[in-house]
Amino acid sequence: MSTYNYVVTAHKPTNVTHSCVGNFTGPQELNLIIAKCTRIEIHLLTPQGLQPMLDVPIYGRIATLELFRPHGETQDLLFIATERYKFCVLQWDADTNEVITRAMGDVSDRIGRPTDNGQIGIIDPDCRLIGLHLYDGLFKVIPFDNKGQLKEAFNIRLEELQVLDIKFLYGCPKPTIVVLYQDNKDARHVKTYEVSLKDKDFVEGPWSQNNLDNGADLLIPVPPPFCGVLIIGEETIVYCSASAFKAIPIRPSITRAYGRVDADGSRYLLGDHSGLLHLLVIAHEKEKVTGLKIELLGETSIASTISYLDNAFVYVGSSYGDSQLIKLNLQPDAKGSYVEVLERYVNLGPIVDFCVVDLERQGQGQVVTCSGAFKDGSLRIVRNGIGINEQASVELQGIKGMWSLRSATDDLYDTFLVVSFISETRILAMNLEDELEETEIEGFCSQVQTLFCHDAVHNQLVQVTSSSVRLVSSTSRELRHEWHAPADYSINVATANATQVLLATRGGHLVYLEIGDGVLVEKKHAQLKYDISCLDINPIGENPNFSNLAAVGMWTDISVRIFSLPDLNLITEEHLGGEIIPRSVLLCAFEGIPYLLCALGDGHLLNFLLNTTTGGLTDRKKVSLGTQPITLRTFSSKNTTHVFAASDRPTVIYSSNKKLLYSNVNLKEVSHMCPFNSAAFPDSLAIAKEGELTIGTIDDIQKLHIRSIPLGEHARRICHQEQSRTFAICSLKYNQSSTEDSEMHFIRLLDDQTFDFISTYSLDQFEYGCSILNCSFSDDSNAYYCVGTAYVMPEENEPTKGRILVFMVEDGKLQLVAEKETKGAVYSLNAFNGKLLAAINQKIQLYKWMLRDDGTRELQSECGHHGHILALYVQTRGDFIVVGDLMKSISLLIYKHEEGAIEERARDYNANWMSAVEILDDDIYLGAENNYNLFTVRKNSEGATDEERGRLEVVGEYHLGEFVNRFRHGSLVMRLPDSDVGQIPTIIFGTVNGVIGVIASLPQDQYVFMEKLQTNLRKVIKGVGGLSHEQWRSFYSEKKTVDSRNFLDGDLIESFLDLGRTRMEEISKTMNVSVEELMKRVEELTRLH
Amino acid sequence: MDGSATPSKNPNGASKFLLDLPSKGLFSSSVISSNLGGMRVYVTDHDTSPPENQVIKTDQVNILIRSLLLKQQQKGGPTSKGAKGVGTNEGSRKRAAERAADGRAPAKRAASTSQNGSRKEGSKSQIPENLQSLTVERLRALLKERGLSVKGKKDELIGRLRAAATTTGLATSSAVQ
Repeated sequence: MSTYNYVVTAHKPTNVTHSCVGNFTGPQELNLIIAKCTRIEIHLLTPQGLQPMLDVPIYGRIATLELFRPHGETQDLLFIATERYKFCVLQWDADTNEVITRAMGDVSDRIGRPTDNGQIGIIDPDCRLIGLHLYDGLFKVIPFDNKGQLKEAFNIRLEELQVLDIKFLYGCPKPTIVVLYQDNKDARHVKTYEVSLKDKDFVEGPWSQNNLDNGADLLIPVPPPFCGVLIIGEETIVYCSASAFKAIPIRPSITRAYGRVDADGSRYLLGDHSGLLHLLVIAHEKEKVTGLKIELLGETSIASTISYLDNAFVYVGSSYGDSQLIKLNLQPDAKGSYVEVLERYVNLGPIVDFCVVDLERQGQGQVVTCSGAFKDGSLRIVRNGIGINEQASVELQGIKGMWSLRSATDDLYDTFLVVSFISETRILAMNLEDELEETEIEGFCSQVQTLFCHDAVHNQLVQVTSSSVRLVSSTSRELRHEWHAPADYSINVATANATQVLLATRGGHLVYLEIGDGVLVEKKHAQLKYDISCLDINPIGENPNFSNLAAVGMWTDISVRIFSLPDLNLITEEHLGGEIIPRSVLLCAFEGIPYLLCALGDGHLLNFLLNTTTGGLTDRKKVSLGTQPITLRTFSSKNTTHVFAASDRPTVIYSSNKKLLYSNVNLKEVSHMCPFNSAAFPDSLAIAKEGELTIGTIDDIQKLHIRSIPLGEHARRICHQEQSRTFAICSLKYNQSSTEDSEMHFIRLLDDQTFDFISTYSLDQFEYGCSILNCSFSDDSNAYYCVGTAYVMPEENEPTKGRILVFMVEDGKLQLVAEKETKGAVYSLNAFNGKLLAAINQKIQLYKWMLRDDGTRELQSECGHHGHILALYVQTRGDFIVVGDLMKSISLLIYKHEEGAIEERARDYNANWMSAVEILDDDIYLGAENNYNLFTVRKNSEGATDEERGRLEVVGEYHLGEFVNRFRHGSLVMRLPDSDVGQIPTIIFGTVNGVIGVIASLPQDQYVFMEKLQTNLRKVIKGVGGLSHEQWRSFYSEKKTVDSRNFLDGDLIESFLDLGRTRMEEISKTMNVSVEELMKRVEELTRLH
Repeated sequence: MDGSATPSKNPNGASKFLLDLPSKGLFSSSVISSNLGGMRVYVTDHDTSPPENQVIKTDQVNILIRSLLLKQQQKGGPTSKGAKGVGTNEGSRKRAAERAADGRAPAKRAASTSQNGSRKEGSKSQIPENLQSLTVERLRALLKERGLSVKGKKDELIGRLRAAATTTGLATSSAVQ
């Protein structure tokens, strides 16, 4: 049963809704504060750039964000109001580095109609009051007393019902608001009111202006000396004050955001709906406004907020694309743009659709999202893995091997990097300027390929080439001794540690040498039956310089053998099975447990537990890491040993809680890797990839990595087809070139590796792509893309016509093989019992895939079911169909084979407006609705009466605070069968704010435990601004507010790991569970995402 | 700056407006670094409740009633000074009785009724703290309950009630103003 669910964020919201600049963290420190719906980020402005400081979760959806400074304060306070009518005033305490709550409260009213145009929260420039417009016809005032403390709030009747914007005017003796509103004839006007705090009422203001631009939507208050207000319309911009009125026409555009540049308010940046950035200048003579000027600066992401930072740098926050840090240049570039984009901050929002695929067939899901909107539309490939922070890189082709060497045995850092090529060996070293430059070690043979290198005792270095082993002094760099391979027996593979060398020659000879001071001694020789493919003598015993075991991989019989050293006796032989030879073996110890890792030529990795005394190999496990041969190397990071598996899918192998874990490295094909711990680049790795040598450090934790595929158009639906290795998307492109805006809708086919458009099918005029599905039908083995469309006519309220198109991919082209007209929009398509199930307006319709006499195929209607308002979301399981309705919550239908009919089995009678549904298991269905809530319902098949059986019982409720657009089964992490979390079923969801989250159905005992932990954490981890976690997570809609149940907040639970030790102990004490046990159990859950 | 009201057609027109952008010396480095450290996720384990008097609530008095009360006060001038502020409070109490919603007013009421109960005066309704704001009718009802004379001017009625209250030791000090 999936009743008990754990909700956790895998990717935090990235949709930037608000931003502001002020002295928040200190009187001398200038901060940029960014709101990302349920989080705020605090950055510090420095001469070097933006320095991230703090990411603060807020228990609410931020509706307004303002910085202000009450009289007598030296730094700014932050005012936040949430969509659920809570507000708080935050202050930074520099002594403790904490955000403290100056004031908070509830500003909801018992009666009142919430505003249509969003909540408005403004602060009087002279800090006399805070104004809030939350309900139509009401203006709420929270007055300040003269000590800067807030007093009891009160409402004032506001005559204007359709308010578009309200701002405070500067420089008024009494707090004065200016209201932009629309009257019932749809004309727009502005009006000013003075707020009389004594009478708790409005007094008619100093001026008003009637009949403005019909698209006027935004007010910009102008600070002294000019004062007054700018009214931004779609065709004109007007400056208005008691004494002046100036207007200029503009190119038609909708201004979405503005940012003030100068403190005196003479220049403003305006961002419009198509991402164009304009500079608006108030022309003036002394303090008298003489006119307005507007200049196009260039293009940015479509801005939702603009903050001028300093020195011509501007932060552009976006809801539809990546947010940006831009610089305004004095001179235009070649394209005439004054805007230089210096940095892009990834934003996945709005995630309209996504699919979970395993492109590398590794058992690890990747999410491919349809992100962004309008011109900023893109696909994003989100995968979990470890990142490499590149420090330096050089172009070097054909690297065959790499090793780092020290200039003295007891040196802490590596000095040399030996890079081997097919017919030469080059040595790189760090020079005094910390640059990597080519050098020479005289004793090394540099005209041939190097097979292996290592530091040896007594300040020596070892180089193995195909003909000899050379021992070189690391101080004088001269050859001290050389061991020659017998003629005709060239060395194939070799390995070494500080005191030992093991090499294999042609003909299956294994030679063991030991390193002395200036001498190489051949100790032992063995003749094996077959050739040797790989070797390892990495010391894992007590002596870090000497290994008692050698691992040998064999050609022909496909085995690994363990030999004892120094006597070179075979002690274990393990046949690997199959026909793929081992390409790399490695002896290593993780958390004190010795393992033998053995990588095969086809990208598989075997691991064994190794008994170091007997050489016995047990607990064989096999995982697939890639498709190409793997090279294994150890490296250490933060004093722990990890293994790097270089291949087409580079992976880091590490151990946690005595379990081996595998993490993707966010790099494409890596051929070789070696640790390179130099003084300039401590703890770094040298990585050879795609003709490039890179030096970088590795992230210590795995996290999500995002690759962007900009489309320049808005992708709305996506699905993947395994057979043709393609993605198909429904997209639309906006054309704003002509006088009239037009949209074009397409079905596009993309290669799943390169993400190039390889084929396009244009839809008709007014035809929208609504759904897309990859499926195959009974008695037809071909894979098809099915696309559901709607003809959206401007004069119709609801589409009355649509199509189902069936495509096949042939030679990388979309071929239309069948089409079927429908009587409405095809909102959803599902493969169902070898047939096609479509949701068409209020109807569910099942189509058969019929063979016609002429051999072509067609869709033929079989049966249907009426009774929905709009059947928007459909999921199926077996014969069951779960429908998410526009406004009638979830219903359960069943398909009856014998009768060939679809019947309703049960429904949830709540009036939820659905945004996504998914089936968790046979009995439990998950829904998301438009008030940002999640809920689960249960099928009641054991009910006594028909009435009971016909009711879906609500079993779980939770306020997510995010608008979910899609649920999909799947996982972002590699699910290994041997891990505990491998058994927990998970669902991924994507939201408008760019959140990717995971819902995991926990077993009951684990749920009960975690719920207890959550209850205890609520007492310790307080909501910023005094906001309550319990209230935040309570299911909330216009009709009801009930406590959350059967859902857990994973974000809160996982923050246990960020607590200090004393706090952890506190919780451990009340729960009567040891801190270690708690940490282990929470860490297990973190591995779900 | 000719004050013309048309957007400039000159492609280089923006340059002159981009001169002298404000600068405080930040972002001045020639290389703006994109990697100035990570973002710390804030975990609040200190008490985040605001100072006692800074939990802000909304005045629940109906806007119309409030404005009437305010007008009344202004008309009443200095004599009804005592009513000021408390008057609105009384109004809120009346509203609050009809209202199940939470808030300060109902809490107060609950507290006062419980006080009342402890005084074993259940049969008689409590003498309100501020008699001045009550109507004559209400005062008469209170007097009647206590078996006192209901005749006379408002001030007399109040005086009688106060006298009754002090003799029975029921009046709170705040009621005597």
